[in-house]
Amino acid sequence: MPKNDLQGTLDLLVLKTLAQMVSLHGYGIVLHIQRASDELLRVEEGSLYPALHRMEQCGWIASEWAQTETNRKAKYYKLSVAGRKRLQEEQENFEHLVKGVRAMLRYA
Amino acid sequence: MRSQVDREIDCELRAHIEMRVEDNLAAGMPPEEARRDALVRFGNATAIRERVTAADAALALDSVGRDVRYALRQLRKSPGFAFTALLTLALGIGATTALFSVVNAVMLKPLPFPTADRLVRIKSLIAANGNGGIASYLDFVDWRARNHVVDEMAAFRTGDFTLIGQHEPEHLLGASVSAQLFSLLGVTPALGRSFLPGEDKPSAAGGTDPVILSYGLWQRQFASDPSVLGRVLQLGDQRFIVVGVMPSRFQFPIQAEHIELWTTLAGDARGGANAITAQRGAHYLDVVGLLKPDVTLQQAQAELVTIASALNKEHPENKPRTVRLVPELVFLTGDLRTPLLVLLGGVGCVLLIVCANIANLLLTRASGRRREIAVRIALGASRGRVTCQLLAESLVLGLLGGGLGLALASLSFRFLVRIMPAAIPRLDTIGLDGRLLGFAFLVSLLAGILFGLAPALQASKVSLTDSLKRSGRGTGGEDRGRLRSTLVVSEIALAVVLLLGAALLLQSFLHLIRVDPGFDPHHVLTFQIDSPAGMENAQSPGFFRQAVAQIASLPGVSSASAAACLPLTGEQIQSSIEIEGHPMAMGSRASADFNAVQPDFFQTVGAALVNGRDFTAQDDLRSAPVVIVNRSLARHFFPGQNPIGKHVRPGIGNGYGPGEPPMREIVGVIEDMKQGGPSSDAAPEVYAPLAQSPFGTIFLVARTVNDPISIVKAAREQITSLDKNLPIYHVETLDQYFADSVEGPRLSSFLIGGFAALAVLLACLGVYGVVSFTVVQRTHEIGIRMALGADGGNVVRSVLSRGIALALTGVAIGLAGSFVLVHYLSSMLFGVRATDPMTFALTPFALLCVAALASYIPARRAAKVNPTVALRSE
Repeated sequence: MPKNDLQGTLDLLVLKTLAQMVSLHGYGIVLHIQRASDELLRVEEGSLYPALHRMEQCGWIASEWAQTETNRKAKYYKLSVAGRKRLQEEQENFEHLVKGVRAMLRYA
Repeated sequence: MRSQVDREIDCELRAHIEMRVEDNLAAGMPPEEARRDALVRFGNATAIRERVTAADAALALDSVGRDVRYALRQLRKSPGFAFTALLTLALGIGATTALFSVVNAVMLKPLPFPTADRLVRIKSLIAANGNGGIASYLDFVDWRARNHVVDEMAAFRTGDFTLIGQHEPEHLLGASVSAQLFSLLGVTPALGRSFLPGEDKPSAAGGTDPVILSYGLWQRQFASDPSVLGRVLQLGDQRFIVVGVMPSRFQFPIQAEHIELWTTLAGDARGGANAITAQRGAHYLDVVGLLKPDVTLQQAQAELVTIASALNKEHPENKPRTVRLVPELVFLTGDLRTPLLVLLGGVGCVLLIVCANIANLLLTRASGRRREIAVRIALGASRGRVTCQLLAESLVLGLLGGGLGLALASLSFRFLVRIMPAAIPRLDTIGLDGRLLGFAFLVSLLAGILFGLAPALQASKVSLTDSLKRSGRGTGGEDRGRLRSTLVVSEIALAVVLLLGAALLLQSFLHLIRVDPGFDPHHVLTFQIDSPAGMENAQSPGFFRQAVAQIASLPGVSSASAAACLPLTGEQIQSSIEIEGHPMAMGSRASADFNAVQPDFFQTVGAALVNGRDFTAQDDLRSAPVVIVNRSLARHFFPGQNPIGKHVRPGIGNGYGPGEPPMREIVGVIEDMKQGGPSSDAAPEVYAPLAQSPFGTIFLVARTVNDPISIVKAAREQITSLDKNLPIYHVETLDQYFADSVEGPRLSSFLIGGFAALAVLLACLGVYGVVSFTVVQRTHEIGIRMALGADGGNVVRSVLSRGIALALTGVAIGLAGSFVLVHYLSSMLFGVRATDPMTFALTPFALLCVAALASYIPARRAAKVNPTVALRSE
């Protein structure tokens, strides 16, 4: 169960990142999540790329090769329309999960 | 494709690591630590790469699907183009597939026997001239006994049978075979049993001969009743007992007219020393063999040739023979190979021209999509990817067109069977099978690549800045013009080849039908009848004379007669012939075609008597043996002399009694008849009176005043009134036989002519297209020229000359190609040489004229260009 949750959470983080940043490569996504979570969340880089490719296969994000500022060729990812919808769903699911856990913990 | 994906994944992961290294260096870490830190954070690169690859595998397939969906969407967006391209492609691929289905059914499909791949036809030929092909029973027995190369050998012949006692007497084509035939073919009857070994010799006990029925006959005449086994049937004047029924669709020998029953050779063996099977010189059997598994055709032939030589030495009184082996399928279809392949090549040329036209259409379409392609390249799509995607569109178009074409071809099967000459065997096996599907798929794919590759490469070579800046015309125009010109030049070349071929074949056919056959086939009805069951051979002439008299008395019949053989039916009897005063041993005598006819035969068929007299009613067994010869025989054996009064001795046709046939006196000479059709040579012929040389089956001929078919019913009634158990069969007019004999050349010239017409039309459309395109391209330039003083005539001339230059190039290439290709046609030509100079001169000229016309129309339009408009278009 923890693994699924984490995978779902990773998806949510990536989708939210791309919603905020429009177009980003994998490394940039890692940095952004780190920064935006006040250094609380550190993405395991090894699991990021399989996740990115899986999400592309599902049609939630789209990829494109382009040049970075330092003229390096990198693969940039963008949110698709379906991805935006998925982001909303995942966000709702997460809120639901958090509410439930909190309620459980408050119940003494 | 796969390594491309791998490389991309590598690149992506490496980029990530490099970027962290950069950041680490920027943060002040020493280089080695910077790298180590980056790698540690990343994790096991290999494992990650594998997981990413797995996720991507599904993506790759999806991209192919995406390409296909995109291609379909593009086609939907330009319905005009899609409709034109699909239609022409469907017609082109459909016609090619249809013809291939004929080639497949006739030549490629293996014979429907389990042992088909080892089946060979063993032909016995006259050693001196290679003629013949049929063997004698005794030779067959000796070959079978003495060889070590063949597992089994069987002999057979076809024959006519009349089934009596069922509803109506029915004529059936049957075969008399040796007992091993069915086991040789590897086929067992569906009902009952096959022939037992030895059942092909007349049984000492004198029992009833066995017969095996065909499935079709069993269904038709016996209502598929299994109790037919053991029934005794009356076939002609002999009784047979049914021992088996062959499986449905079994046929042997395979020929256009189906075999309905099989008996054994026992019938031929009756008669002791006089039986035809007892005469080594009587060649009348076909022989098939089953090669031993490890023996090649050449080895088997070598051994059988040796056996034949030994037999020649042992029997010097017979003409020396040799042996030739041919695989059975090749034997059945060998001489159809060239015509069928020529037709397939012709329709293939049309398909190539269709592809060139579609390529031109794609080029036009591509110029409208330059913007779209330029944008895609700017967004990061590689040139290769764009080319692949464009090619995918062409492949989708090709496969769609191919699918439609295949559907069209399938619908045409019955039509094809009807237009193909009836003499072609195995046409009834035409149908969809793996080979045909594979062919259609391959052709569609190749067509797609053929018309799609060049435009796709061309389109992806788009210069980014140019096409994004200007609205349409760009520097790519020069190249595109060249590609289009090449396409049109090749179209014209192909059209020239087809046109030349069609011209040669058409001339050939016209020569063929203008040949004087030596007789008049119009208004002549023919049919075959047997002598009634139980009638002795000696009595049959009298019966036939009565039958002829009754037919002659019918209203609308101007004359009637009978003969054992008829011109154009392919049934000639070869006999030895001895000239008076030149006695020769049997083995070294000359040959002549033998026929037995009634008086008035020559008059009825319209053959000309050039010397002497016709037979009369007085020429029978009570008077001296007489004979009529043809001019060819007279020229051959009595050069420069008058043959009337001389004597010859045909080796057969002795109605006078046992013993050697008599010397016959020549009483008449007729003009040569082309027995085998217009392209055959006239062989020496002898005709004996039917009364002096009885035959059990004859052709009855009647010359009618009106349409011969109008008297068929009356004729049938006349014969039935003589004997109600006597059916008439093979009812045909002589005209029909004549038409059948030229059916092949007629069909070939018609089809190739059609293909050529289509090719010329398409090529001219191509010329029109290219010249129009050039005019549109050079509107600016033309505008300037006209503003500078050039008049309309100048412009027309320059545009026209461009079109003619294209056509000339194409014609030159086409002529060069034709010189080589036309030699494959020579076996199909008659009366005209393959390199006939007139044809080679006139045909290209005709094409040039048409091409010039096609260029003239856009040229006129160019002259009407308004210079100010043209200049402003910039």
